[in-house]
Formats: sequence, C-alpha cells, structure tokens
Amino acid sequence: MTVMWNMAVSETSKFKVVASGVIPFAFVVVMMLYIFGPGADLLDLGVALPEITIEKVDFIDSEIQATVRNTGPISVQIAIADVNDRIQPAAVEPDGFLDRYETALVRIPFEWNEAEPYRIGITIDDGTRFEKEIESAAFALEFTSDLVIFFAIIGTYVGIIPVMIGLLWLPFIRRISKSKYHFFLALTVGLLLFLGIDAIEEAIEVSNENLAGSFNGILLTATVVVISFIGLYYAGQKLIDRADSSKLTKPVAIALMIAIGIGLHNFGEGLAIGAAVGLGSIAFSTFLIVGFALHNTTEGIAIAGPLSKDKTLSKKSLITKLIGFGLIAGSPAIFGAWIGGFSYSPFSSVIFLAIGAGAIFQVIVVILRLIREEGDKNLSGSSVVAGIAIGMLVMYLTSILV
Amino acid sequence: MILLLSVTIGLSVIAIFPNFSEAQSELKTFITHSGKVIRTTGDVIDPLYTVSTVEFDPMEYLREFNYGEVSKLADGTTVREYTIIAEDDKVMEVSPGVFYNVWTYNGTVPGPTIRATEGDLLKINFINNGSKEHTIHFHGIHPAGMDGVFEAVGPGGGKFVYEFEAGPVGVHPYHCHVMPLEEHIVHGLYGVFIVDPKEGREPADEMVMVLNGLDTDFDTENNFYAANTIPFYYQHHPIQINSHELIRIYVVNMVEFDPINNFHLHGNLYEYYPTGTDLVPSFYTDMITLSQTERGIMEFVYEYPGKYLFHAHKVEFSEKGWVGIFLVNDSSESDDSDVEYGS
Repeated sequence: MTVMWNMAVSETSKFKVVASGVIPFAFVVVMMLYIFGPGADLLDLGVALPEITIEKVDFIDSEIQATVRNTGPISVQIAIADVNDRIQPAAVEPDGFLDRYETALVRIPFEWNEAEPYRIGITIDDGTRFEKEIESAAFALEFTSDLVIFFAIIGTYVGIIPVMIGLLWLPFIRRISKSKYHFFLALTVGLLLFLGIDAIEEAIEVSNENLAGSFNGILLTATVVVISFIGLYYAGQKLIDRADSSKLTKPVAIALMIAIGIGLHNFGEGLAIGAAVGLGSIAFSTFLIVGFALHNTTEGIAIAGPLSKDKTLSKKSLITKLIGFGLIAGSPAIFGAWIGGFSYSPFSSVIFLAIGAGAIFQVIVVILRLIREEGDKNLSGSSVVAGIAIGMLVMYLTSILV
Repeated sequence: MILLLSVTIGLSVIAIFPNFSEAQSELKTFITHSGKVIRTTGDVIDPLYTVSTVEFDPMEYLREFNYGEVSKLADGTTVREYTIIAEDDKVMEVSPGVFYNVWTYNGTVPGPTIRATEGDLLKINFINNGSKEHTIHFHGIHPAGMDGVFEAVGPGGGKFVYEFEAGPVGVHPYHCHVMPLEEHIVHGLYGVFIVDPKEGREPADEMVMVLNGLDTDFDTENNFYAANTIPFYYQHHPIQINSHELIRIYVVNMVEFDPINNFHLHGNLYEYYPTGTDLVPSFYTDMITLSQTERGIMEFVYEYPGKYLFHAHKVEFSEKGWVGIFLVNDSSESDDSDVEYGS
C-alpha cells in the first residue's frame, strides 16, 4: 500500500516520507546512546546477580564434561568444579572467563560409575555455586557408523514404516461416503491437534528443565510456533494456488503439506528418541520407540485423507506419491535421532519442537478449510465433531504407551 | 519457506555448536587425585594441588602469636595491651578465583592470636571501623560488663576497652557477639585466645589451627572448609616440621551450620587436652570430634620423616578444603635449637 501511495506523490514529498520515517528512528538511537553513555547512572540500580547454566553433562572415559553457559547479565569467571559437592581439579576450555551467553567446556577427570546419579557443580568468582543433577550416568554416544545405522533403523521403524502402514488405509477411505470422509478428515484434525499441543508441552518442558530463564523458554516457544505457522501457511497457500495451474492437483498439494508438517513433527520425535538413548535411559527409549511407532500409524491416515479425494491419479502415480509422502513425513525421524543422539542441545530441541508444532497447526487450518469447502460450512456436522473428539482420544490413549 | 528454513538452520547451528570464546593454544597439564596427567588448551582450575597463594597467608598465621604491649604494675602484675580493629567491607580472595566479603579483626580471618599468661591483666582496645555494630566476646572468666554481649560498639570508629585478668589456662575462642550472631561469626569475626599456665609448658613447635567454613553463596551451607580459612592451603603448602620434635597444636573449631567437625592425624597419635585447661592429657588418639567452639591442645612427635596428611574424617569437609600435609624432615639433618615455648 505504501508503495502505491509513494508512486502517487512527487520527488520532494518522497524525501519527506523518508525523513519522517528516519527522524523518529534517529531519536531512538539518541535515546539508546544516552542511556549507555552519560545516562548510564540511571541504570546503575540494584545489584546484578551473575548466573550460569550447566546445559549439558557428558560422561566419557574417566572424565565428566559439563557445558556451561553464562546466562546472567554480567561476565563471570569459573573458579571451581565439583562432583557431588566435593571439589575436584578440572580444566576449562577454552578459558574460564565467560561473557554473556558465552560457553565453556569444564572437563573434570573422574572415575564415575555407570547408572549412578551425579550432581555436577560449578562455583564462580563471587562464590555462588550452580548445580545440575544427572539421574543416571552413561557413556556419551560416540559418532560411529554402527550407531549411525542403529539410529537410522530406529528412525525408519518409528517414522517411515508406521506412516506407510497408515497410508494403506487409503483404498478404504476412498470407498466411503462423503460424511464418512469428513469424519476421517476431522479425525486427522483431532490427531494433529493432539500432536501440536504435545509438541508445545514438550518444548516448554525441555526449556524449563535445561534452558536458563534468560532464554524466556515459553515465549521462545510461542514465537517460533507462530513464525513457523505463518511461514508455512504462506508457503502452503502459494503451493495450493499454483496447484491449479501445475501438474499438482489440490488434494495432492494438501497431502504434501500435511506430509511436510508431519515430517517436521517427526523430526522432534526423533530428537526425543536420540536424546533418550544418549542420556542412557535405554528402557525409557524402548517405550518411546514402541509408543511413537503406534502413534505414528495415525499420521499416515492424515496424509491419506485428502489424497483419497483425488480420483484423477493413475495407480502408478498414486503409489509413487504415497511412497514419496511417506518418506517426507517419516524420514525426518532419522535425522532427528542422529542430532538428538550425537549432538543434543536443549536450545535446538526447543526450536525444532516449536517449528513442528507450528507446522501441525498450519496443517489443521488447511484441513478445516478443506472440510468447509467440501460443504460443512460451520464445521458443526456430527461427523466432524465426532472425528475431532475421537482423534484426540485415540492419540491420548496411544500416548499413554510412550 | 526458504527464509524460515535458513533461520531454523542458522539458529540450530548456533545452538548445536556453541560459540566458544577464542581458543588458547598453549598446552597446560595438571595431575588428578589418581595421578593421571590431564592436558588442556584451556584454564586449569585446581585449588587442591596447584601451588597458589591468595591475599591471606595461612603459613604466617599458623605460628604467629600476639603477646601485646607489655608493662608491669607496681605489684609486679604483667599488663598486656592489644589493639583490635573490626572492619566489614573487605572482599578477599578466599580460594583462587573466589572472592568473598570477609568481616575481620585486624584485617584477617581468623583475627590475631592473643596470647597471655594466667593472671596477666589484659587491656584490649577495640575499635569498630565497620558499618555495623560489633563487639569482642571472649570465652573465659571475666566480669559481666566485659562479656561483649550487651555493650554493642557503634560503627564508624566506636571504641571499647575490654579489661580482665587472663584465665583460665587453655585455648579459647573470641568472636563478635552482635545479632544476628551466625552472620557475624560466619563472615569471619573470630580468633584464638591462648592463656599459658604460669609454669609454662614443655618447649615445642607450636601452631594454631582454626577450623572454619565459608558459606560463599549464603545458603546456610558451607561451600568451603579449611584449617585457617584458605581451603587446601596446607595441602599444596605442606607444614614443615622435624622428626623427634614435640609439636603442639592449639585447635579451635569455628565451623557453623554443621553440628560437628573433627581432626584426624595420619601415621601418628596425639595427646589431647580438651580446652587446654588441664595439664594432664585426657586422650591418646588420632581422632577427636569437635562441636561449635569446642577446642583443645594436641601434642605429638613424629618418629619417621615423610609426608603425613591431617584432615577432617568427615570426608565432605576434607574434600571441600579441610585437609593438609605435615612434611616431617629428618631432624638429624636440621637444627632444632629454635624450639621454644611461650614468651
């Protein structure tokens, strides 16, 4: 709109527009310079308390390694490391002086015992001690080809295979009446709604447990969810608009978007599995794997729903598309497991989980619009209401397995 | 979509590969408990074994006794006059790299070791240069008005003169007795007061050890423990003594928060005189348990030269700093004529 308005005015008034945009900005700069320069005394209120966060603890051969980040408002110097509140000699790499948000690796030579709990403490220059508790010590995963393959197999088992199985319901969905079809679409909405809420909950949990307060975990999650949502919404709309003129049919475009959304979500699941194996909670990750696998068959149904509407596709092209979508939706679990297992970082986990949640919500909006276009304008038909409710319930019940 | 993807990848790269501050290239080494040599390009933080010094020198404090300005009354009574100045604004490096606000008598924690002979007249000129009220409360026998409890001395140069006769014989603590008491003690306002018997004790290599703790993060749990304030100091600066020579330690437990402390000596046993009030030892042991301000005198002689640990057998305390080493030198190679007792 500004562009059109600009074109309508002359050169001089164009200058005025620029000036009127720049002048307030210049005042903002002056204001900031004042507060950091001559007005610095204004900010000199109270005592700034230092804070560090032990983001990660790795157990390797005869050594415990803690990744420490300065998450407070002022620089700190790492002075002492301890294990179970007993002071130990240690090395800090690259050095013990940490500016805001800077990290260091604290290496504590220690003959630790597998499966025992440990509390790792770091004391800084003002004598404040910060601690992180590890429930059960286990060897940090090393990057070996065996493990890479192991995670790929698990990712396939959790991501690709269940989604493919879910897609096998396509012929069934195809043969049913319109209201039953709406039911399945609504079921998908219910399933996805559950997954979206689940991802947000997980993101907030990870940030509460592992991220410092200064990262503003909940707002970080909210921001990334919204950006992910509107970004994908914009891109998805472009895809559907183009679908009319390209080879892609609208149902295929919608199915593709659902597959992408679910793929982003499964990446988060892969991270959770990788991290669980990495943190040594092997039994827990077995449950996680079985639970996710069952859970994810329902995701195949979500993709199959809109695809079943496309009667123009040849059998061969349909099968290729199903396999393609299955891979798009399922294979990110493999990448997630690699990253979660080999280089787990709570910050990136929160980001990925939030992106997944945003993607899911975007898919929900698209499916609901599809149902409305198909005829149920108010989304109040019994099949839609029942579908969403049953979708949520199914997910809740399968999630108990995780 | 591409924008979103690049933002995502950018953010995750930052998160996955944290921005380590610029690397140092010089390779340093340190040795662990088990003797393993660790190499690092970074900083070594090792308060246990790395020989390091801080502002306060526990080695100097160990054998330093303050006998005061001596004068005589007409009746022959010895008068000892001391000046003790309290301050509460000093930030001291208590362990390499750890800074803590200590409250001090004459600038140190513990304050000076005040030493007199039973029956001497003591005159302690107390000046409070702190920002809070402080006193000196001596354990021992004295008139009520000299107890340092109800006679708070105002901040910013307030004065009080404690006058009393030294007694009873033994080793006693002195400390500030202003409320909240725990705060005034744990910040460091305490010291040792020794009253020698008139007949003296056997000549010995004498030292003072105040067992204390530091709660540097104010959570009513000690972060550090030590003999004479600096954690691990006598481990990386072993106390040199001679074999076949009598060693006498005046030990005072000033640890707060934890109900008990103890003192274990390696490779030897000691005669123990609880509170030092009796001239006959009560125990021959290598382990005593001390409650708050419980104290006594330990005497021992090492037969064999070498390195001997002494530490709290409450291992938590020793692994947080209350540990040291006696380095026993062969006395046949050294001259032990400098051994003396008292004034």
